[in-house]
Amino acid sequence: MTTPRSRMPVILPRLIALIVALGGLQQGTILAREGRVRVVASLPNLGAIASAVGGDRIELTTIAVGTQDAHFVDPKPSYMVRLRNADLLLVNGLDLEIGWIPPITQGARNARILQGAQGYIDCSAGIPVVEIPAVLSRAEGDVHPYGNPHYLTDPLNAETVAGTIAEALKRADPASAPLYEDARRAFVRRLHEAVFGKDLVDLAGGAKLAREAAAGTLDAFLDGTAIGGAPLRARLGGWMGRMQAVRGKPIITYHRDYSYFAARFGIAVVDYVEPKPGIQPSAKHLEEIVARLKRGDARVIVTRPFVEHRSTDLLAVRTGAEVLTLPLEVAGAPEATDYFRLFDYVTDRLVEAFSESARAGAR
Amino acid sequence: MMMRSRHARTGAAVLAALALLQEAPAGMVAAEEEIAGENIVSKEEVAALRREIRALRDQIRALQARVEALAPAAAPQAPPAAPGAAPEVPGASPTAPTPAVPRPAQSPNLLNPAISGVFQLVGNSSLRSRRESDGFSLSEGEIVLEAAADPYAKVNIVVTIPAGESPDFEEAYVTTLSLPHSLQLKGGRFRSALGRWNPLHEHAFFTVDLPNVLRNFLGENLRGDGFSLSALVPNPADLFIESVTEVASTGNEVAFNSRRSDPLFLERLRVFIPASPDASLEAGITGIYGNGGATEKLLQDIEQFGPILEPRRGLASSLQGIDLTYKWKPLTVNTLRSFTWQTEFLRSRRRLEVLRLPALELATARAWGAYTYAEYQFRKRWRIGTRLDYSELPDDPDAIERAGSVVLRFQPSEFQEIRFQYKRTGRNDPAAARFDGRASDDEIFIQWIPTIGVHAAHKF
Ligand SMILES: [Zn+2]
Repeated sequence: MTTPRSRMPVILPRLIALIVALGGLQQGTILAREGRVRVVASLPNLGAIASAVGGDRIELTTIAVGTQDAHFVDPKPSYMVRLRNADLLLVNGLDLEIGWIPPITQGARNARILQGAQGYIDCSAGIPVVEIPAVLSRAEGDVHPYGNPHYLTDPLNAETVAGTIAEALKRADPASAPLYEDARRAFVRRLHEAVFGKDLVDLAGGAKLAREAAAGTLDAFLDGTAIGGAPLRARLGGWMGRMQAVRGKPIITYHRDYSYFAARFGIAVVDYVEPKPGIQPSAKHLEEIVARLKRGDARVIVTRPFVEHRSTDLLAVRTGAEVLTLPLEVAGAPEATDYFRLFDYVTDRLVEAFSESARAGAR
Repeated sequence: MMMRSRHARTGAAVLAALALLQEAPAGMVAAEEEIAGENIVSKEEVAALRREIRALRDQIRALQARVEALAPAAAPQAPPAAPGAAPEVPGASPTAPTPAVPRPAQSPNLLNPAISGVFQLVGNSSLRSRRESDGFSLSEGEIVLEAAADPYAKVNIVVTIPAGESPDFEEAYVTTLSLPHSLQLKGGRFRSALGRWNPLHEHAFFTVDLPNVLRNFLGENLRGDGFSLSALVPNPADLFIESVTEVASTGNEVAFNSRRSDPLFLERLRVFIPASPDASLEAGITGIYGNGGATEKLLQDIEQFGPILEPRRGLASSLQGIDLTYKWKPLTVNTLRSFTWQTEFLRSRRRLEVLRLPALELATARAWGAYTYAEYQFRKRWRIGTRLDYSELPDDPDAIERAGSVVLRFQPSEFQEIRFQYKRTGRNDPAAARFDGRASDDEIFIQWIPTIGVHAAHKF
């Protein structure tokens, strides 16, 4: 009975020796090159903000690309390697990345960036979340149980995110804390100017404007405050100024991913091509949208690079509605090279689409 | 909440600050901070008060939200306007977003594990003649629990409820989360890391049935109770290279049907090559060394011809596998189009006894088998695939099965799948003799797999 079995036990010690040797080889790579903080961002918008705050003090890797569907990034093993030595992992949170961040963090074997650890930075902290479902049921589709996670479509939320990231960087690299703080301030200043226009920010202060906007009292403030006889609204520039032209205008979006954007810029999302989150539109649902479009409830449909285009193509052909494929993330379109260009591009396209659809409607 | 104790003291100051926070007259807005500095209260005090007011406001909002959540009628999520309703234009101001409520569903269940459930309804029928196994069956149900045990470990439990049998732990293991050197230790009962298919549970298969080679070499699947150590192998190309080493006792009744005290050893190495952003290649090799006992054929022969013979156990049995997977998933439309091509080769070498009357004789059987499966996703919810099977029987390399299948998979959502499969099997004479004389078969399968519960992580 001895002959066949005698070989087996020899294998185990050899394997253990091999593993230990392999483990030993890895030790050298624990410290960041030149003392920089190794940051991994799940999504490009977070990466763009982190890059603005961290500058060259951080070594940044972004997992998803801008044209990808943030709900459905594939958890490739190669991402685990990228996370293996990370100091910080920035996630959007609110379960947006539920399908892929848990498997790659667990596969990365890096206790620093596991959920709950210091290096796991949930950027939704402090965000006023909308659309928290009252009833949680998959009968409502692939719902986001913690509320709508697409909060970075409101640029003012980027201020909160920049603050969260700056705090995380300060904790990871206290020596450079003043640098992060300066960069955060510069980012926020630039953000306020981009949202409200430089004129108005110089006059009223970006923080004040952001506060009014957050409280939902910006309009009252702009209309009720006069300078030299003209209300402050006359000075409103930036993205909000540009979007004045389309305020109150109705749009239809593919997924429920523009709620924050619409609330910020005062446009109305009146329907969704998807009947429920993650559920493909049925012929019946599309008929209903066709009827609404024909009635003139909306003229503009906003869709995304990563969803199916058959439904929206059909709606365009049947009703002549304007279909815009807009990026949600930085680099989701060639023009959207950073977080600021993203909104430059998106607001441009929307304003243009409404003026075109108005012209088409007049004909 | 230190703030609470200071509420009374600061009440009056808060009121004063509230007044200060009211609109400053025109022209003064930009300079508000400076002006405040020159007035009765210092800049710092104003800032502190303002912070407190903001905190109070947030508290009030949170309380409001909680009250709303308690009222059953309150639905914070406005449904899209019903058809026919006029487009709702928000008022002059953008609607204030609802506040950040910590998390919904506060309850003592909060720390319970993530739970999901799945079952499979399978229909299988031969197109040739009626078989015992034809018909519909609830082939298996599974309850899956997953949670962190503590900061150091995670626990996965899969309870399977096979139709007509009592529930059992299909898998139950603890995985360390913070070992040094990128090591991960797993302990408990788990599927052996043999190739790509063996670790999959039935609901995650590509096709309804198992590839013939796995069925013939392993029975259902290979799993064991024991330990698994996984390491990421550092390499200059920064590729994902994983080494898995396992020691386990198995109750496998085919390849490793010796005593439980004869453990099996497994070593697997796999490498993931992201060839391009859209395409990847994964290759793995696996070796498993253990012990086997009497084959089913031998037991039948003994029963028929030699009742006094006692077959041996502890005979060397080993499996070696190679697996190759190519995936094309274009980043931007990865939910709409994809292509997967997965192939596994498996070689079995086992010492076995055969009945040569009047005694048992020791012999060595070497057999191999393979499957290759290709699948194209042509719509978000539809995939079509085809599988080719080749398998010798592990105790008789002269017995050969060949099969070809076509499968259509429909996934109405991420939580449901319906599969249709047609399979044609051919066997040579020695193999047919082992399958009730059936030299060939035509089968159809239908399978419905609903899943409930938490959103399971995706696989790649
Ligand atoms: Zn979403």
